[in-house]
Amino acid sequence: MTFSMSYLLEQTINGITLGGLYALVALGYTLVYGILLMINFAHSELFMAGGYVGLGALKLLGDPAVAKTAGMGFLAPIQSFFLSGTVGYICLIAAAFVISGIVVGFMGVFIERFAYRPLRHAPRLAPLISAIGVSIFLQNAALLWISSKQLPYSRVDGTSFVPAKTAFTVAGVNISTMQILIIVTSLVLLAVLDTFVSKTRIGRAMRATSQDRDAAGLMGVDINRVIALAFFIGPALGAIAGVFNGMYYGSVKYNMGFIPGIKSFTAAVIGGIGNLRGAMLGGFLLGIVESLASGFLSNAYRDVVAFIVLVLVLIFRPGGLLGEAVAEKV
Amino acid sequence: MGMRKIRTYVSLIAVLAAVALVVTGCGGTTGTTDGGAKAVTVTIGIGAPISDGAVALGKGMVRGANLAVKQANESAEIKDLGIVLQTVEGDDKGDPTTGGNVATQFTSNPSLVGVMGHLNSGVTRVAVKIYNQGNVLQVSPANTAVDLTQMGMKNYFRVCTIDSVQGPAAADYAFKVAGKKVAFVVDDSTPYGTGLADEWAKQFEANGGKVAGREKTGDKDTDFKALVTAIKSKGVDIVYYGGIYNSGALLSKQMKEGGLAVPLMGGDGIFDGEFIKLAGAANAAGDLCTSIGLPTAEMPKGQEFIAAFKAEYPGEEIAAYDAYSYDAANVIIKAIIAVAKEMGADKVTTTEGKKAIIAAVPSTDFEGVSGKVSFDANGDTTNKAITVYAVGADGTWAPAAK
Repeated sequence: MTFSMSYLLEQTINGITLGGLYALVALGYTLVYGILLMINFAHSELFMAGGYVGLGALKLLGDPAVAKTAGMGFLAPIQSFFLSGTVGYICLIAAAFVISGIVVGFMGVFIERFAYRPLRHAPRLAPLISAIGVSIFLQNAALLWISSKQLPYSRVDGTSFVPAKTAFTVAGVNISTMQILIIVTSLVLLAVLDTFVSKTRIGRAMRATSQDRDAAGLMGVDINRVIALAFFIGPALGAIAGVFNGMYYGSVKYNMGFIPGIKSFTAAVIGGIGNLRGAMLGGFLLGIVESLASGFLSNAYRDVVAFIVLVLVLIFRPGGLLGEAVAEKV
Repeated sequence: MGMRKIRTYVSLIAVLAAVALVVTGCGGTTGTTDGGAKAVTVTIGIGAPISDGAVALGKGMVRGANLAVKQANESAEIKDLGIVLQTVEGDDKGDPTTGGNVATQFTSNPSLVGVMGHLNSGVTRVAVKIYNQGNVLQVSPANTAVDLTQMGMKNYFRVCTIDSVQGPAAADYAFKVAGKKVAFVVDDSTPYGTGLADEWAKQFEANGGKVAGREKTGDKDTDFKALVTAIKSKGVDIVYYGGIYNSGALLSKQMKEGGLAVPLMGGDGIFDGEFIKLAGAANAAGDLCTSIGLPTAEMPKGQEFIAAFKAEYPGEEIAAYDAYSYDAANVIIKAIIAVAKEMGADKVTTTEGKKAIIAAVPSTDFEGVSGKVSFDANGDTTNKAITVYAVGADGTWAPAAK
């Protein structure tokens, strides 16, 4: 294998980008687990839904061909702002994130209200099976109502919403605009969430609920509100990862959530499920390990190496890298 | 007592429902000839992915076969024999298990003597054995896996050429015509993709080219970023991909976006407009693929076929296998005619008739839309033409410069 510093760096950047996506999705698993001790198997489908909603938003706001179709002419002035240059593009992406995050966030709240809350005092397997049911429902809904085909994440004429070509080259290392965008956005979102949970009043309520739900309720914390909030934030972050995934890799499909879902869940377990910083650490670690395994061993070994890391972590630190808090609970 | 009665009714209703299903599923129209004598209805099954899988190609198979049957029914030859041909569709969804169910359904239809299908080699591997037991002829327009004609199934024929012809032809083009010297070979870990990529790599090296690396991916993969960085470090001038358009298009897109500006080449699995749509026309420009046979428009009977197609299916585009399905259906129709002439029309749908139809196919020899249609001892076509296509600046596949 050819080895050079620039090659190592480029594969590491690929890995950090992938890790950023994993971390965003892993937060959704870990938030819900931390509060409800439940694995939300429908989370990977919310990631998928985020990809589709984001594509719809990008098409409505940033595809001139859509504005030309009958009855959609009112979009033209809005689009002219979003297509007006760098500021417009940044606003376009931000708008896609906000729309996708809000829509999917409310989907998460809705799912919790109708599929999980009625089962909150049932045996632990019941909500798990309900989650699998929601997951199958969402996949089939996308298959039937949207398309069975793999859809390109681009305008009707085939051009990307964000020019994804190499942005600049430092010492032979190519970095694309999309990679910078993903890494920066995921780090900012993770920092904001961390501050939110550790510094604000409602964040403290979340931590209290996570430690002891009944006691928190007795102290005047509105448990249902805290849980609903967790089911809004997690899916919203997953949806943003879904939009990124579409823009970065170039397509969406109804069953696209499955593999990233499993990987992100793995990342959450590596970091210590229930621990926010652990999910971020696990996500980045898994992304970098996968990328380097693919780059230095073989593409066929990337999943093997990723899961070897999981096994090693579970052998030497069963609670995950940062996961002491969980050990008491189980 | 009452319980038992209810149970009897339930089972009776179930039996009736099953019978009704069979009748509506397989039954068909019986026509009469001009003379008033009862015509013999002979059925041809069309086994194709219609609701799931490579639907764009499967719908083309249905179009091609139905066109051939319609033309045959209008011909004096069929009318004089007192035969009415009809088709019945079986949706295999590109899935071997579903394909097996379709095959069972087809073989249990007494008037069904031949099947035009299937698209996927994996589906045929299951279905062909069921047809063999039921003495049903199978002619595939699209199976390219090499081993299908080496399974000892005397009822199986195909009008398209195979991967051991397609792979080397593509490698010859890449090395000799396109002048590519260093390649990276990727496949999607399916029997189709791996087989094709192996054949390509072998011939490329035999020509004197260098295969700088070989990697496997999954057939549903979307992330090729790390792979692209690895390929880039090898300094290659072409990437060969054995697989289908869904993942192949994303590999091409991520190659071009990751600064690896060399063409991606693939087989007939990427020969579809969806490839260009998914990759984006600007990224796909210059990508190459091979497909079996020659472009329909250049064939002696091509213009005639295109005109008939446009008249029958206004507004629809000819996909990769329409013409092959038309030819494959005609292989079955010609065998039916030969047997009807020899044994009489009423004997065609008997077991002896079905066996005679299978026995009649090896002597097939006619000028089809895809070229001369005849078979070797294994049931493979003798027409081994391959065409190389390239994505042009206009964002469509067009025959590449020779």
